[in-house]
Amino acid sequence: MNDFKRIVKLAKRLTFERMFSTRMYIMLPVLLLFIPGMAWGFSDPNIVLPGGHQPESAMEVLFYASLGVVFGATMCAVLLSYDGVSRERASGVLELRLSQPMSRAHQSIAMILGSWKAILIPTWILLLVSVLVVRYRMGEWISLTDFLVYFSSTALILLWYVLFTLLASSYTREQGTAISFGVGMWFLFTFLWALITTMVAFASGVSIGQENDASWVMLEGALDLLSPNGVYHHLLETRLPQIDRGISSWQSWSMGLVWTIIPSWMFIRRMEKILP
Amino acid sequence: MEEVVLRLEGATYRHSVYAPLPLKPWRSIKGPGIFEANISLQKGTILGLVGPNGAGKTTLLRVMAGILPLQTGCVYSGSDGLVRTEQQLRQMVGHMPEQVRWQGRKTVRQALLELGEMRHASEKRIDKLLTLVGLTTRKDSALSELSQGMRQRLTLGVALLGSPEILLLDEPLNGLDPVGAAAFVALLKSLTEKGVSIVLSSHQVEGLIGIIDRLALMHRGHILAEGTLEGVAKSLKLDSKTEIKGTGSPPRFKKYGINPSQVHLEEKNGYWNALLEQAQPHLLTKLVNDGVEITEWSIRQPNVVEMLCAATGQSLEDVGLEVASSAYVPLRTFGGEEE
Repeated sequence: MNDFKRIVKLAKRLTFERMFSTRMYIMLPVLLLFIPGMAWGFSDPNIVLPGGHQPESAMEVLFYASLGVVFGATMCAVLLSYDGVSRERASGVLELRLSQPMSRAHQSIAMILGSWKAILIPTWILLLVSVLVVRYRMGEWISLTDFLVYFSSTALILLWYVLFTLLASSYTREQGTAISFGVGMWFLFTFLWALITTMVAFASGVSIGQENDASWVMLEGALDLLSPNGVYHHLLETRLPQIDRGISSWQSWSMGLVWTIIPSWMFIRRMEKILP
Repeated sequence: MEEVVLRLEGATYRHSVYAPLPLKPWRSIKGPGIFEANISLQKGTILGLVGPNGAGKTTLLRVMAGILPLQTGCVYSGSDGLVRTEQQLRQMVGHMPEQVRWQGRKTVRQALLELGEMRHASEKRIDKLLTLVGLTTRKDSALSELSQGMRQRLTLGVALLGSPEILLLDEPLNGLDPVGAAAFVALLKSLTEKGVSIVLSSHQVEGLIGIIDRLALMHRGHILAEGTLEGVAKSLKLDSKTEIKGTGSPPRFKKYGINPSQVHLEEKNGYWNALLEQAQPHLLTKLVNDGVEITEWSIRQPNVVEMLCAATGQSLEDVGLEVASSAYVPLRTFGGEEE
């Protein structure tokens, strides 16, 4: 068996363990309500959004429904992964893992893939349900490119949250600290980021919250590249030509790559040096 | 001379200790660990690693298991020479850490299969291991349902994955019932007969006699003595002792040419018990001829605790209780230099 197969097999075991864990059964109703539930709500033909706006296309509806991913799926990613390293470290199982001849980098990759797939598979299934819901309510399919962008962007945001949480888990010896870090980080990017954006705008002399003010929109767009949720929305916006926040597609995808590579590298490096 | 399977030369590993200063809150210094340890492990033998709490036994085992990297020194394997990477070391070694608290809904077999994949262990091998460690009937039990003894057996099973040539066991007898412990010892003996070399660290020092072939005494990160039990006792200038028990009046040992300062005598309810600091093989005949009533007689080798006391220069109480606090101070003065 080569190294790649070993990584895949280990990741599969971890995925299975986490996907059928009690906490997943608890979180599944939340995911159900947030992802297909939002798709159902936003695809209502009579819906009027704040500002009197009505969604024009299936992709736009799915873009609004992506709030379910931002609020629900990312939190589930945190809750599934927060003890990925810390629990095994506290119980002594990590020491057994570290004493195995499989390289630590490969073990880390298996850990990332396992935790990621555990939240990715149910989320993708629910996204597929959302696409079907939108088709049923609006009578319109999204294009193949929209579909690929929507699913790959969602996969990426989940990966980022899994990576941050695993990284936090590898630094903490107590699971309480690990979960506090994970939830705190989720809170920062989901709720507090708007406050940070506002503060930066205030400090820069940009008028705050003026949707018609180009400088505010540009600043918000630029700052969003520094948040995983912001990058996720930038990636989805690449399929919505009516939205222009001054960030081009290549910039969004490049930042997506940066958010993937840096935390992955940090986690692998951390695991290579971790002490039991 | 027996074949050496693993040799550590000048092995040093010092733990990083967080030591913040007001203007340097991230500061850490090098603290306790192991210092220039030299140790050889011979094929098919059991080496007992003995030392008080905080002596560095677990650190040494982790270095030998390739979990902690050496800061200075080298590791040599008998067959391949210099061991260049920790991964190479981990291939040869099976490690059983102290007190692994297995938990979760995963079954015993699933846990072994998962870790077995890291060592290319087949399902057939896993089932054999389950039989070997006596967990066949519990293979489908959830990890959370296991008793401490069963957890120990499972951890041993993991250490045996991949049929390692060296087995490192940290406090393996903890939590095992007497029957389980006896079976465990028998298993270790059978493994050594197959050529597996074992390093066994334990606080239960008396239980080690009869199991181990060689002994290494550790204190404050240093290996103070290493060799066969007799060899270590000899190097520490410890003699065998004579223990005599009897009834009636105890004999006057001075009459037999024995210095009274070397006799520890206790009397209670018509019984007496004498411990002579040296072996006195001819004394029994003389005592019997003089009509002394003797109920028990033995010449015993110095035990591990006595060796440890002699090696560290501490009293029994120091080794047993007080050393935990002072064990973090290395024997040699290290500067506590910043990392």
